[in-house]
Amino acid sequence: MSAQPGVLPFVRLKLRLIGNGLRGRPARIALFVVGVVISGFFAIAGYAIFAIPGVADNERAAGILLPLGGAGVVVGWLFLPLVFFGVDESLDPARFALLPLTRRTLITGLFAAAMAGLPAVATLAATAGMVDSAARLGGPVAGVAQLVGVIVGLLLCVAVARAVTSAFATALRSRRSRDLAAIALAMVAAAVGPLQLLALSGAERADWDKVAAVAHVVGWTPLGAPYTMGLEITDGRWWAALLKLLIALAAVGGLLWWWSTTLENAMVGTAAEGRRATATDRKPVDLLLFLRLPRNRFGALVAREVRYWWREIRRRASLITFTMVGLFLPISVTISNGSPDSMVIFVGALAALSLANQFGFDGSAYATNITAGVPGRIEIGSRTVAHAIYTLPLLVTVSVVVGLLAGHPGRIPSTFGLLIAAYGVGLGLVLPLSVRAAYALPSSSNPFAMSSGGGASKGLLAFAVLLGAIVVSLPLQIVALVLGSVWLWIGLPVGLAYGAAAFLIGSGIAADMVDRRAPELLAAVTPNR
Amino acid sequence: MALRGLVKHFDTKLAVSQVSLDVPAGSFYGLLGPNGAGKTTTLSMAVGLLRPDEGHAFLLGYDVWADPTAAKARLGVLPDGVRLFDRLTGPELLAYHGLLRGMDAATVDQRARELLEVLELGAGNRTLVVDYSAGMKKKIGLACALLHAPRLLVLDEPFEAVDPVSAALIRDILQRYVAGGGTVVFSSHVMEVVERLCDHVAILSDGVLRRHGTLEEVRGDRSLEEVFVQVVGGRVATGSELAWL
Repeated sequence: MSAQPGVLPFVRLKLRLIGNGLRGRPARIALFVVGVVISGFFAIAGYAIFAIPGVADNERAAGILLPLGGAGVVVGWLFLPLVFFGVDESLDPARFALLPLTRRTLITGLFAAAMAGLPAVATLAATAGMVDSAARLGGPVAGVAQLVGVIVGLLLCVAVARAVTSAFATALRSRRSRDLAAIALAMVAAAVGPLQLLALSGAERADWDKVAAVAHVVGWTPLGAPYTMGLEITDGRWWAALLKLLIALAAVGGLLWWWSTTLENAMVGTAAEGRRATATDRKPVDLLLFLRLPRNRFGALVAREVRYWWREIRRRASLITFTMVGLFLPISVTISNGSPDSMVIFVGALAALSLANQFGFDGSAYATNITAGVPGRIEIGSRTVAHAIYTLPLLVTVSVVVGLLAGHPGRIPSTFGLLIAAYGVGLGLVLPLSVRAAYALPSSSNPFAMSSGGGASKGLLAFAVLLGAIVVSLPLQIVALVLGSVWLWIGLPVGLAYGAAAFLIGSGIAADMVDRRAPELLAAVTPNR
Repeated sequence: MALRGLVKHFDTKLAVSQVSLDVPAGSFYGLLGPNGAGKTTTLSMAVGLLRPDEGHAFLLGYDVWADPTAAKARLGVLPDGVRLFDRLTGPELLAYHGLLRGMDAATVDQRARELLEVLELGAGNRTLVVDYSAGMKKKIGLACALLHAPRLLVLDEPFEAVDPVSAALIRDILQRYVAGGGTVVFSSHVMEVVERLCDHVAILSDGVLRRHGTLEEVRGDRSLEEVFVQVVGGRVATGSELAWL
């Protein structure tokens, strides 16, 4: 066996990759600076929060905050890479597959390289607040013990993130399981809002003794163990501190071992297994069309769009997110006795927003429609119909549920009218935008990969459209307020008319734009290879 | 198909410069060029997928950019890469293409089944196109291009990543199509295929059309590969470098 390199080359490689990624790209440098500022903010805020119990000289608060806060940090390292940021694959294990490295060298090297990054530095700085607390409460020895704990905690965080993402990456090699995981993650992400509210309401009538008991238990799990070592010293329980150190180290070791087993698979890669296809005797046209769609061009376009909203993973994720938000927001407002009308307008406009980059979802496949010479009117119309097939039932559900929860079943039709009006206005604004400001989505298989640079700014444009749609729908809401009970009768037809008018204007503009700019649109949505 | 002075810039780079080309009706035309020569760019402009900075493209006498509907109705295209709606199954994709072309449903069903069977893709296969192998993707793309019986076929790299058996099948189909009066234009950098199939060739490099004409005119008494390497200006290893190999 030839001499194995230490960890330094890996760390240097990582830093060099970060540096080269920034060179000559002002946009990336700006993003990096933003990242530094945000990390700095979290580091300072975290330090301040974790130092509070020490400054306040409150050992009880420390007993709650340190284990729970520490566990929160570890759980954050577990979920955030999966849900939001994606995995930092700058040191992709697969790239080392051909080098003569032992697994041990590779693991320690990659592990050390993973430490060299903003998140790790920010975490270390934030949790250093715990050292401050422990030192003030229990003297220098407790401080040193807590420092050891914080460093082991950081190792734990990084190990958790690496091991879990590596295991996921292996499990997600096949497209089908990746699709399923993406759906699950989209639901988790969409559920964050509701959960937050639940936690807040729970905190209002919290029973601190119970929380302290929970914190005590968490302190003995690997999640909280490293972060409570200083506190145990403060209480004079040396053995407990030692035991917790062992627990944490064992957890780190176990995670690293798990990582190294999955790493092997990640390096070799597994063949994607296709869905077991079952043969069918049905005719091709019948396979494509359903719901008695007309057997012509329009029907084919609608059928393909409907299939794509379900089969294309990014679209399905956006549908699911919208469903969660669309149902949850009005319901929560209604329950807390607010007026759901403004929320209703927001939901209606939000529904249209999933079409903001409808051509970007197609990518270069849109070339098919261009070579077939599909007129803009049919193109835009069919896409809207397909989207409405998913959206309208949801809007009906929202208005019925809101009406029933508020105890005014009579308001259901007028609420629906308002929803339709906002949806129509949203479409009227979003459709031209979807042609004019389409952007390419990365051809990556990760449904959460976002394109950087131009895409992000165009995403902001969609947000502006959302605001615009709400503003344009406001007159209707004001009319509803002024008219009072009369509105209950005329709300539905007026809303339908208002929405339809806005949709017709917007779709007409969009259709013209498609006819004139189809090749430019194709170029805009084609990912660079 | 006739191209007149096509020019395309990408940012500051000149991708295609003044390409003029006549493809006689009923010919089997090969567009040759090394990677990055501008083959795909030229064909994209010819079929109306990429707006040229200058120049015109005529398909069967119709100006692609002035009268796109008439020109595109008689045209079948196999674009490069993965430009298919690949989250549909093979039969669904064919039905989509057929209906999109305004064909009636019965004809679509009949032709789609026939194509799927001939190309050995399986008429009842419910695998999504995204899960197809590279060769199967080419074949389903070709089926989509053929479905509406166009008079002109424009194929971008139809033989890339295709196994020999499928390639032979595709060759047969294309030869039958030309024998029946159709016109085929395709790009490739595989000399053997072009030499075997084509009666006309054009060589493109760095966005400039270097040679064009019938196969005999272009290659003279040498092999096509020799002419190609000489025209494109590739180097031949002399032996002094890489001696340690």
